[in-house]
Amino acid sequence: MYGGGNIFEATKLDDLQAEDPAKMAEFEARIARGEKIEPNDWMPALYRKQLIRMIEQHAHSEIIGSLPEGTWITRAPGFRRKMAQMAKVQDEVGHAQLLYSAAETLGKSREQMLTDLINGKSKYSNVFNYPALTWADSNVISWLIDAGAIVNQMANARGSYGPYSRALERICAEEAFHLKYGHDAVVHLATGSPKQREMIQAALSRWWPPIMTFFGPSDKMSTHTETLMRWKVKMATNDDCRQQFLDMYVPKIWELGLTVPDPNLKKNAETGKWEFTEPDWEEFKRVINGDGPCNAERLAVRRSAEERGAWVRKALLHPKAKYVKPLA
Amino acid sequence: MSLTSLDPRVTRLNLPDGEVPLMAPKPALDQFETYEVFHQKKESAAYTYVGPVHAPNEDVAFLFAKEQYSRRAACVGLWVARTAHIQVTPYVGDGENVYDTLRLETPTEQSGQPEPYEIFHLKKRGKAHTHAGRVMATSYQGAVQEAKKAFGEKGPIVNVWVVRSGHVLQSAEEDKDMWLTVPEKKYREATAYKVMDKITKFKEQQTNTPAQ
Repeated sequence: MYGGGNIFEATKLDDLQAEDPAKMAEFEARIARGEKIEPNDWMPALYRKQLIRMIEQHAHSEIIGSLPEGTWITRAPGFRRKMAQMAKVQDEVGHAQLLYSAAETLGKSREQMLTDLINGKSKYSNVFNYPALTWADSNVISWLIDAGAIVNQMANARGSYGPYSRALERICAEEAFHLKYGHDAVVHLATGSPKQREMIQAALSRWWPPIMTFFGPSDKMSTHTETLMRWKVKMATNDDCRQQFLDMYVPKIWELGLTVPDPNLKKNAETGKWEFTEPDWEEFKRVINGDGPCNAERLAVRRSAEERGAWVRKALLHPKAKYVKPLA
Repeated sequence: MSLTSLDPRVTRLNLPDGEVPLMAPKPALDQFETYEVFHQKKESAAYTYVGPVHAPNEDVAFLFAKEQYSRRAACVGLWVARTAHIQVTPYVGDGENVYDTLRLETPTEQSGQPEPYEIFHLKKRGKAHTHAGRVMATSYQGAVQEAKKAFGEKGPIVNVWVVRSGHVLQSAEEDKDMWLTVPEKKYREATAYKVMDKITKFKEQQTNTPAQ
């Protein structure tokens, strides 16, 4: 699970003029022909840097995103739901593994990525800095956050970098279960007793504002955005993803008689676009920079797992081991 | 003060609350070496590349590979090889044949006994390498040459991976029953969740109940 939020802005981007024009032309022609780029190909520094950033953030989002749902495994109502919740959490952690490997093919080690996550240098999807207060919150995450992630990942799977596309294909296949499982859980509460309905409505109301920020602010259309789209690093704008998500899921929320807590939310019949109250981007910025309800807990839990497992890894390490980055 | 969470299990970890010093950078090889994993989807299908795992040794790599790559999808066999043991040719463009571009020199002296090598082909960029077959050779270079003769004609082949068979840990025939658990876990399949009946019933009730 993952959103586009805040990825492409505010990096000091490399000067494209410094790249070898002949190699650049070959690289761009390959992408224009619809061919994928593989790890050993020549690539511009900007391409490499943005992909590492994007895939790494995606990996972190999977591993941190498994925490709010993971804490509900023991409290999930009934054995079947515990099993399914556990399987979903295991999938998410597996996705992180796949994605870290894809980023590694570009030259950043997994040790470095994990260090950067724990020390707050790399980001992860901001929605996971909010708490899953009840079982219903966990269901809303399973359904709607995963739904948003799928919109994003389906777009990215068509991108130009081979290892990322391969990982995303596998990930999207697994996410299909998450989406159905989440929908099933939400429908169960929404069609249940008045108390259950109240619970799912409250969770939806809590999660709607973070969900609306999930795809990130409107893209600033700079030359670099255009370049990244031409290179098929960025496959759709944040706004396009958000519109697609609203198109697919608002009707499904409404058919359950649930209320989306935004009086301005409606589809404009003329433009075909959804209109909504602009999300609170100030809060988004504040939370992504560390000041959210769960930032400290998420990183502390992750760090504790790393530190408590360190002696096992040390004991298992073969003295002659030599690192080679994954092939593809 | 330790961190309090909504989750009692997190609270019980007694994690430090407030500002904490930065974690020292993880040392090199903290995450071990990498291994490449190939799976067989069904009997008689060619082994296909599924992705890497990090592991301290071959056996653990196999266990991780089984979890990572056979947990959710049909699988009847796994091969695992250390990344360092796989030799890779250059990549060519889609539609081309990499064997045509390789300058293959015949090894001057045939030393040692020929041994088996596994050959994997990438047919199109972005797809996965699949097992083309096995050749006998005395070196990686020789193996590529043999591979060209044996399977190099049916292009396009964008890239070739070569690994000595002895370096591939292969799941054994007698362990086949370890792949049997996937169909038991229906709750991991999207098809196990059918909500339309519930939704339809709910909507009917809504229409039948006059608005209050």
